[in-house]
Amino acid sequence: MSDILEVKGLSFRYPDSTRRAVADFDLSVPQGEIVVLAGPSGCGKSTLLRAVNGLVPHMYSGEYGGEVKVGGVAVKDSSMRDLAQRVGFLFQNPENQIFMFTVERDVAFGLENLGVPREEMRTRVDEAMRLLDISDLAQRAPHELSDGQKQRVALAGVLAMRPQLVILDEPTSLLDPKTAAELVALVARLRRELGTTFVVVEHRLDLLVKVADRLVVMNEGRKVMEGTPRDVLFRDEAESYGVAVPAITQVQKMLAKDRLVPTSGLMTPAELAAAVGGGSR
Amino acid sequence: MMWLSGGFVFRRGTSRYHRLDPRVKLLISVLMFVTTLIVRSLYELAFVLAFMVAVAAVATVLRRVLRTMMLTALFSAFIFAVNFIVTGNLEMSLLYSLRFVAIVVSTSLFFITTSPDELEQVMKTFRLPRDVVFAFVTAVRFIPVMLLDTIQIMDAQKSRGLELEKGNIFRRVRNMIPILIPLVVNSVVRSGELAEAMESRAYGAVPQPTSLVEYRSSLADKAVAAAAVVTFALVAYSFYYVLPVHFP
Repeated sequence: MSDILEVKGLSFRYPDSTRRAVADFDLSVPQGEIVVLAGPSGCGKSTLLRAVNGLVPHMYSGEYGGEVKVGGVAVKDSSMRDLAQRVGFLFQNPENQIFMFTVERDVAFGLENLGVPREEMRTRVDEAMRLLDISDLAQRAPHELSDGQKQRVALAGVLAMRPQLVILDEPTSLLDPKTAAELVALVARLRRELGTTFVVVEHRLDLLVKVADRLVVMNEGRKVMEGTPRDVLFRDEAESYGVAVPAITQVQKMLAKDRLVPTSGLMTPAELAAAVGGGSR
Repeated sequence: MMWLSGGFVFRRGTSRYHRLDPRVKLLISVLMFVTTLIVRSLYELAFVLAFMVAVAAVATVLRRVLRTMMLTALFSAFIFAVNFIVTGNLEMSLLYSLRFVAIVVSTSLFFITTSPDELEQVMKTFRLPRDVVFAFVTAVRFIPVMLLDTIQIMDAQKSRGLELEKGNIFRRVRNMIPILIPLVVNSVVRSGELAEAMESRAYGAVPQPTSLVEYRSSLADKAVAAAAVVTFALVAYSFYYVLPVHFP
């Protein structure tokens, strides 16, 4: 399949900074993949995400080098109007991206802005709400929703615009463990049902590695590691870049030293238990 | 000013009055407001107040409106006192103080039965620029959020030893500074995030955005609006030409 997102040698420096936030960054993401982006705070993840949906350079100006293409079209030469339809962006705090007084009107917000006719808008809003299981909340006000529900409403508003690529910026950081697990399951389901591509910045890797195809680690604006989550997390450097290596991987690494389990490839809890001769199969 | 806010906060209702076209509700409130201003005697004013109570009953907000009336009356005792001291005219002083109550109630009836969503619709009817309407929508939308923010900041500062209720009035005002600064900073950060989210959802992409919900006046809405105008005309006419005037 063709690459929905191509980043070639991207560099960006904010006007009042001496250091480049993103430096010589390359990334290609094929349609339908889930890519996880990890790295310490201030490593340039946020800037990279904003360069993908066009906030950089359209809203934040600065020294821009290299190229970002979404669906084969350069972000730099596209309008925000155009980009809003192709790239969905779910921000970290759902509260600050819900604008209207009722859920259904907020889901429709982007479509209203684009001037989509009412009948089509109705269909797309209902479809998005059904997809995220929030149809029964349609008439609720934002302050009557839980954090998990707000997250779903915000995501519904993004999906109603039918983007090819969806960016999630630390989507589980404000959620409790159960709701976070539900969100990750939802991402996997949307990829399966709609073929949507996801680029996710996340610290809670234990949840996401199960559904992610690729893990990219950033440090000081550069890409320092890339591969399947199984490979990347098993490498010792991962920890040095501040990546939260899941407990199961750490256990496997300890056991691997004594050659009790394979020395490569990340295992699930069940696989690990089976490898050491325990667990129920 | 808490008594005022209580009389102006919308709560969801299902009465026929709630379901009226918001523009008709605005018309009724404006007409009641104007009637209050042209009233010339206590009898007329009593009639206007009784009419408002009847509307409140239809809108199933009678208890809230009566509460607002009582609380406003307490405040307008001040208006009465000043008027009476200056003019010595009992009836006129009563009229002016009760008129204030009627003005508050007529406005309150509109706000407590009209959702922010409907308010937005009314603003659109007046063809206000999209940015103005949206600024209003956002301001109202974030009232509960900011309120929660304020409570959290107050708790945080109190737990670090800030004593809000201590000292004289100047001291108390100064005590609010550690609450206001984080609140303003939070709001600035929030507005930055809002701007990003707005851009990402194509705000301002086309000059004429469409709307998911269509507000159309039904025949009943038009009938109520017509009835309101006719009632107003009859009342105004009788005030000036039929009923006796009690003081110049």
